Amino acid sequence: MALLDWLDERTGIRAATRLMLEEDVPGGARLRYVFGSVLVFLFMQQVVLGILLAFYYSPSATDAWASTAYLNDQVTYGWFLRGLHHHGSSAMVVVVVLHLLQVVFAGAYRKPREVNWWTGLVMGAIVLAFALTGYLLPWDQKGYWATQVATGIMGSVPGGEPLQQFVQGGPEYGNLTLTRFFALHVFVLPIALAGLLGVHLLLFRKHGVTPPDLPEAELQRKTQPFWPNQLFLDVLAMAVCAAVLVGLTVKTHGAELFAPADPASNFVARPEWYFLFLFQLLKYFQGPLQIVATVLLPGAAAVYLFALPFVDRAKSRAVRSRWAVLSGVGLLMAAVTALTAVAIVEDNNNESFQHGVEQAHAEATRARALAREGVPPVGGVAVFDNDPEQKTRNLFKEHCATCHTLEGKGSEEAPTLDGFTSREWLTALVRNPRDRRFYGATKHNTMEPLTTEQASDEELAAVAEYLVSLSGASAAASVDAAMVARGKELWDKKLECSSCHEVEAGKDSTGPTLAGRGSPAWVARIIRDSSQKDLYGDTAEMPKFADKLTQEQIEALAQFVATRKTP
Amino acid sequence: MSSGSGGEPDAGRRGVLKLGIGALGLGLAAVPAVPAIGYLLFPTGSKAGEGAFLPAGKRSAFAGAVPVRVDLYADKVDAWNKTPDVKLGSCWVLERDGALQAFSTVCPHLGCAVDFDAEAQKFKCPCHRSAFGLDGSVEAGPSPRPLDSLEVKEENGLVAIRLVRYRQGVAQKEPV
Ligand code: FES
Repeated sequence: MALLDWLDERTGIRAATRLMLEEDVPGGARLRYVFGSVLVFLFMQQVVLGILLAFYYSPSATDAWASTAYLNDQVTYGWFLRGLHHHGSSAMVVVVVLHLLQVVFAGAYRKPREVNWWTGLVMGAIVLAFALTGYLLPWDQKGYWATQVATGIMGSVPGGEPLQQFVQGGPEYGNLTLTRFFALHVFVLPIALAGLLGVHLLLFRKHGVTPPDLPEAELQRKTQPFWPNQLFLDVLAMAVCAAVLVGLTVKTHGAELFAPADPASNFVARPEWYFLFLFQLLKYFQGPLQIVATVLLPGAAAVYLFALPFVDRAKSRAVRSRWAVLSGVGLLMAAVTALTAVAIVEDNNNESFQHGVEQAHAEATRARALAREGVPPVGGVAVFDNDPEQKTRNLFKEHCATCHTLEGKGSEEAPTLDGFTSREWLTALVRNPRDRRFYGATKHNTMEPLTTEQASDEELAAVAEYLVSLSGASAAASVDAAMVARGKELWDKKLECSSCHEVEAGKDSTGPTLAGRGSPAWVARIIRDSSQKDLYGDTAEMPKFADKLTQEQIEALAQFVATRKTP
Repeated sequence: MSSGSGGEPDAGRRGVLKLGIGALGLGLAAVPAVPAIGYLLFPTGSKAGEGAFLPAGKRSAFAGAVPVRVDLYADKVDAWNKTPDVKLGSCWVLERDGALQAFSTVCPHLGCAVDFDAEAQKFKCPCHRSAFGLDGSVEAGPSPRPLDSLEVKEENGLVAIRLVRYRQGVAQKEPV
């Protein structure tokens, strides 16, 4: 106590505490007064959680997703803190609405509390702005696309384009969009909200709670002190709210994180649930009428709420005398609820939407698993480069596509690899080996075309079948045995292919051996060194990759090339 | 009780002091505020640029009237980052009367990515149900204009497409 006395003498802390806690609640403590306190609690919790998230989050287009995935999936309790922050924002929206309804019901917006009502409305709008700006920060598909729609709306109203550009930091989404949203979300909005909250609380203390509509004497008789009677109820409500949030966070294992934002992808964009009513409204007003849904109706609702103290001409606060105002606000709430419900039902019945959601979840799981290996610094989408197949694709692009084509992309300096294990490829080659699609651009353009006089199309098909049968165990399963026998006979007896090509493994010849042709092992040998005697020999031009790529890389490439299906 | 305004001899001097406080205060506020305006407006009003022709693959890949979705890659500078060879966007390409036609996948309504529904032979937007015919025309939904067609160039059997983004939500097609 001596310490407290010492401190009190220098700071007046006792008087300050008394000033804060000592207040009469006319008519007694009530459960329906708790919402404001719960909001203060939620806001403070959001601030603490937000600061914690900022310890790991990095606001740039290249890092945002990767750092969020790291925070969420690798940092101890990261998922929990992020989840709590995410669900906390939903909780704030819910409690804001409850608070607003309580104020309307009690008539607390009336004289002399108009300014407090307005600061409250502005704070409500700030809570929504928090939600909107926070949604984009993970830079995942959902946040990216949903926010695109929001800024798109901004840009589509007359004169809104400069505003859209200002918010986005330019004509397109990118680094500057993120840094802006980040600055708004973590500095501008919290400071604005805290300032307004200060005013709101001061005004609240000035006017006190709005007591129930009872005779003065009864109010006096039932008066209780704020501390501890009302505060106990407040803290109880906070605890219930926190318990719900923790439960929700554990149950959902935190907040969703979708795959990294990909501007060139499709995504089934939906806003957060509390904006669904606006989203739904948008569907009813099309073309030039769109502005009705985006500006006029929401604007009218906002004006109505702001004007409520003037709209309400009733003599007393009694509920009976204010039925017009109460039903106005009730109607608004009903409309919002109905629109939200319709939006949910429509999406539930929309198969392609459901399919899209499933796909999005699968992609998210894949991306997050790959992110555990580290995300390349070029940006979130580069996480897919960790995928073994993508790694191989990138290898192909880097080392092979300068000469070969695959999946329609690449050069024509060397034979196309699209379908090169197929019958179609083989027959086309034999008929026209000097086409650019085959060996036309290479030194190995010495093979003579096989004319239809030398072998009919039907005979050639049999030979191709025979060659496919040579390519290895997996190919042998799919061939037509009769055709193979026919092809072999033609090969042995009629055609002159064997003067250049061997069909037995290990024998050298001027043309590449056809034993195992197109199998991963055969392709791997070509990649290592195509100038071996039984392969392309002197006519080989392809670089030897034996010491440029690792054994695994070569095998992966060979496997990749040999197993591509004909496009 | 020495302070007072009105007729006191000091009144004139105090008036000047008050004016001084106001003027100096405004000046102090202006030091960060004035540059802040330009600073915050910084890239606004800049255009995304003409958009260059980007390689979209071989002509032979687009035979037939079934739209093919192609991703377009190029180097990208995003503020301070330059990333080589990234996906900048994509488009739907199809053959109509022997010529290639490309549509941006960005929905002219509010920018979601448009899908192709093979069954209905329509482009469909998953967001607000806009649907477009194979020629890009609006057949349903809130889109204020047809799909944005992109310029296509063919050279030596290779196709290149000029990727441009257009303003969303307005009836006329203006690049952003
Ligand atoms: S964004 Fe395509 S219909 Fe709205």
